[in-house]
Formats: sequence, structure tokens, C-alpha cells
Amino acid sequence: MHSLRARLLVGIVGGMILLLTIFSLIIYTLTRRALINQLDASLLSTARMLAASVEQDNNEIELGFEVQAMPEFQKAEHPTYYQLWRQDGTVVVMSPSLSADDLLYFEGSSAEPVFQEFKIKNGRPGRAVGFKFNPRIAENDGKSSQPQTKIQALTLVVARDVSDLQHNLQMLRWLLLIASACTITLSFFVATFVVRQGLNPLNSLASEISAIKENNLTVRIATASLPAEILPIKIRLNELLSRLECSFNRERRFTADVAHELRTPLAGLRSTIEVTLARTREADEYQAALSDCLTITENMQTMVNNLLTLARIDANQITFRCDQIRLAKLVNSSWHTFSHKALERGITFNNRIPAEMTCSSDSDSLSIVLSNLLANAAEYTNQDGQIWIEAHQANNRTEIAVANTGCRLINDQVSHVFDRFWRGDSSRTDTGIHCGLGLALVERLVRALGGSITVELQDGGIFIIRLVLPA
Amino acid sequence: MRLLVIEDYRPLQQSLTKGLREAGFAVDTTGDGQEGLWYAMSNDYDVIILDLMLPGLDGLSILKQLRARGRQIHVLVLTAKDTLEDRVTGLDLGADDYLVKPFEFKELLARVRALLRRSYREKNPVLNVQDLQIDLTTQRVWRGREEIQLTPREYALLEYLAMRSGQTVSRTDIWEHVYEFNSSAFSNVVDVYIGYLRRKIECSGKPPLIRTVRGRGYILGAQS
Repeated sequence: MHSLRARLLVGIVGGMILLLTIFSLIIYTLTRRALINQLDASLLSTARMLAASVEQDNNEIELGFEVQAMPEFQKAEHPTYYQLWRQDGTVVVMSPSLSADDLLYFEGSSAEPVFQEFKIKNGRPGRAVGFKFNPRIAENDGKSSQPQTKIQALTLVVARDVSDLQHNLQMLRWLLLIASACTITLSFFVATFVVRQGLNPLNSLASEISAIKENNLTVRIATASLPAEILPIKIRLNELLSRLECSFNRERRFTADVAHELRTPLAGLRSTIEVTLARTREADEYQAALSDCLTITENMQTMVNNLLTLARIDANQITFRCDQIRLAKLVNSSWHTFSHKALERGITFNNRIPAEMTCSSDSDSLSIVLSNLLANAAEYTNQDGQIWIEAHQANNRTEIAVANTGCRLINDQVSHVFDRFWRGDSSRTDTGIHCGLGLALVERLVRALGGSITVELQDGGIFIIRLVLPA
Repeated sequence: MRLLVIEDYRPLQQSLTKGLREAGFAVDTTGDGQEGLWYAMSNDYDVIILDLMLPGLDGLSILKQLRARGRQIHVLVLTAKDTLEDRVTGLDLGADDYLVKPFEFKELLARVRALLRRSYREKNPVLNVQDLQIDLTTQRVWRGREEIQLTPREYALLEYLAMRSGQTVSRTDIWEHVYEFNSSAFSNVVDVYIGYLRRKIECSGKPPLIRTVRGRGYILGAQS
């Protein structure tokens, strides 16, 4: 059952049915027992009265005349029946109301009265009480000396037509049934209404949520008077919306950044080509223009590769191998690309990693990491500055630190160096050459390799990036 | 006409400068914001082509400072930012036109020419001074029915004189609007080029068009 409304309705109505059934049964049972007890008491008292009026005179058994004459034993609408037996089964006397039909004989009726349901003549329901008793001995006038005759035990059964009682009980049954049915039907309608009213906030919440489109995530669910149970949902949904908005904005900004970073080199490429093609030129002019175009293309390619690598790491599409890497050698080969330019600017590079130190990691990834770190250092080190790289191994971890002098960042900026497209100079330097992806890629790669990376700014503009790699 | 290009991306800066020079403009170039502002404040440029993201001082700040100091130079903003918000910000800060990278070089030229015409309150892309006709778009010049072949420098000089036809144009004005900041021109270069120009447009017995105002400069056409 998927509908909350149906579930609530079934719960409420089902509960009502169960409770009403139980209560009706209890009421019916108690009432029936009370009525039967009352009947039994009345039957018993009649029987005792009858028994008390029985006299044994010698061997004659007599029922008091005045008792026999009582109207309730006559043939009437709802008469009382009685019949008296001797122990040998012969009938002593029976009520006139019985006509000729025997009453039920209680086999083995004891001194204790026994009640029993049965069918009297013409199939009407009856209830009888029966017991054994010894009749009173008639006192013969002045013959008290006469030897006692043997007392004959008698069995008396008194019965009464209970069709009225049955009828009343049946009425009660119907009453309870109809009352329950009405209550259940009404409660169904009331419950439907209440449940619908109760679930209304959910509907309004749903319609508000459905109004939120992916291009307008600034909207928040505003419904003010939500019940306490739904309020947390609203709050959580609004929080979710905030997170979504943040991530959409980040994505949008990222796309805008990518577009911007590609537009500038594209503009350079296009304008170089257009200006060159505008007229016929000498061969060396074409050569110069083509070499400019090549440089631009290379820079764009680097950027696109970095973006792709980042996207692949983000999507977990890169598998890492486990190579034994001689760190010092990898650093030297990574530095080779920048050494010429650095030398021109008087920068000294010091590789302090012991030649024999090895570390097991993905060599391609680590090479990208080191190249980017060294490129960054080479780019931002001051004229005649220094770059050095160190490594330590302890507890199955390798720590590599790349440091350079001449850092112009301030402490607040340092935490942003791993942000995509972030650059130290807010007005952006070196457009098209450094787009602020290198360190972002480094950070992402190091994390993907299971390591961690931190930046540190020391006095005197010394900028240090430390990476800790497993093994 | 003299232009200032403030653009830090070297390939774009170089190709723009080259293309604009070949289109007959005198072009000064810088890649630094501070330097760009200084250039713009110290020379009377006809149009400034301004990138927004610059080291030193960003383009919008340059624009703001230029306008704050009352410079009425026409500014064409070049940028990779293309959102409506960016454009509105740029134009509201006093940019005259906006071009999103990458752009077609021809469009840049056309927009620069349009800004120049606005500078000199000229709507017609073909200038007429008596029987002299100058097509600013194709940079071709006719005297009567006869087309006159001019070198880029001569054309630039004639175009500037024609834009201000009927006014006395001083040598300093010519110097500022036709020659680049670091051109190694000698002191009487203006007079020499006026001489070349006269020889070409006043040939075959046509009446003279450029008159010398002694001690003040030159006038093209009748004085207005």
C-alpha cells in the first residue's frame, strides 16, 4: 500500500472495526449472562417453592394444592412447566401447562440444581432447572407414633419458555451490529476528511517543490505554517536546495571560467591568422605567425588536457598503477623542461632527494604532479631566486616538499592556490599561458593517489608545497 | 588616427598591433594596466582598445579612472566575459563599445572606424572635401574621377585632415594623432609628409586643397 492516505484510512477504520467488535462482544456477553442469571434465579426460586410444597404422606406424594393452582402453571402465553419424577422414573405430577408432553428428565440430577437449555414442545427454546430432593413428610394428625415410612427421593424439573429472552438477545445483537456499522461508516467519512485535511500541507509542499526548476534554484520552500512533522522535511529540502544551488553555481562558474580561458587564446589564434592572411607576406612572416599559432595551440592543448584529466579523476575514470619510482630521477627529468627558462632568470634549482630513494606510486601521475609543482615554482620564483625539493620517508609514507623563494601571495590567498582557475593576481596575469589549473590538478591527483597536500608560507616569501604519499 | 591597445595576452596584442598598423593606424601597445592608464592619460588617442583582465590594474578600473579624470576618449572593450551583466557593467562604466573574444578582425576594424567617425561627429563613411573623396572603409581616395594612390602614412595624414576639414590642424595634433609614441620620426616629418600629400592630390593642375596657416598649422578645404 503506497498511499499514505489509504494507509491511514485502513488503520483508522480497521482499528474502529476491531474495537467495536470487541466492545460489542463484551456488552452482548455480559448482558446475556445477566439476563440468564436473572432467569435462572427466578426458575430456581419457583422450583424451590414447588419442592417445598411437596409432601409425602406414607407412600403418597402430593403437591400443594395452592401451588398447583398458581396461574403461571396454567396453559397461558408463556407458562412455567414442571414435572416431578420418582426415582424409578414414574411421573408423579406435571404442570397443567404441559398438556401431555413430558419435560426433559435430568438423568442423575443431584442435590445441586442443574440448569439446561432445551427445546420444549413445538420447538420453542426453553430453560430448565432440575434437582433431586426429599419431600417433606406429612404430619398425620395424632399419629406421630406411627413408624416412619421410607422417604422417596424425587426429581423436580422446572422449565420456562425463553423465546422472549432469546428475542431480546437477538434485538441486542442487531442493535450492536447496526450501531457498529453506522459508527464505522461515519468514522470512514470523518477519517477521510481528517486525513485529507491532515495531508494538505504535504500537497502544498509537493506543489511548491514541483514549481522549482533546475534553472531557478534560488527559490526556497516558503510555506510558513507547516505542521511540526513536516517542518523538518521543509528544512532539509531547503538545505538540499542550497547545496544544489551551490554546486550548480560552481559548475556554472567553472564552465564560464573554461569558456573564458579558451576564448582568449582562441582570439589570439584567430586574430594572428586573420592579420597574417590579410595580405601577401614574406616567408619569414608566415613562419613567425605559424610558430605563434603553434605556441598558442600547445598552451590550449595543455589546458584541455588538464581539464580532461581533472574531469576523469572527478569521474573516477583513471586507474593507477603501482610503479617503483626513483624519485630523484623523476624530479630531474621533470625539471628539465623548465631548467632553461629558469637559468635565464638566474634561478638555482636544488634537488635534495637522495638518489637511491624510491617510492611506489603511479609514475605518470606523479610525473604530472611534479611537473606542475616545478612549473609553478619556476614561474613564480623571483629573479635570482631559489627552488629546492626535499623528500623524507617514515612510517611507510613519503613526504615531498617543493619550495621556492619570492612568493608574493599573502596568507589569506594561500588557501586558494588549489582552486580551479584561481590566480594570485586578481586581475589575472599571463592569460592563455597559466590558467590556474596546474595546482588544482596536482591537489586532485595527490588525493586520488591516496595522499594529502598542504601549502605553507614562511617568512621571506618562501612558498612550500608538501605532499604526503603512501609508501 | 592613433590608437592605444591595452592587452596582456601577447599573441593577441602582437597581432592586433600589426593588423591595426597595416590598416593605417598609429598604434601604441602595452600589456600592463598601470602603464596603459599612464599612456591613456598622457596622449590624445582617438580610440583605446582595452582588455578587461590585465595585470597591474584591471580594465574596468582603467575605464573608471579615465572617465573620472574627464577623458572623453572612445574606448572599445575587448573581453572574454560575455554575460549580459559583464557587458552592462562595462558600458555603464563608460565603454563606448564591447567586443567578445574571439572576434573577427574585420569587425574590430569596422567598430574602430565607427568610433572614429563618432569622435569626429561624422556619420558618412565617405568623406567629401570639395572634389576630393575619401572612402574610410576601403581607404581609397579620389580627386574628381581620378583615383589617387597613397602610402598608408600619407593616407593616415589625409584622413586626419579630412576628419577635421575646414579647421586649422596644428603640427602637434598631427603628430599626436598620426604618429606612434615611440616612432623615431624627425622633427619636420609632418611638413615633409604634407609636401608628399600635396604633390599627389594637387597634381594635374587641380586647385590646391591643403593650405598652410603660418605659425599654426594646416587646413584641408575651405575654412569653415
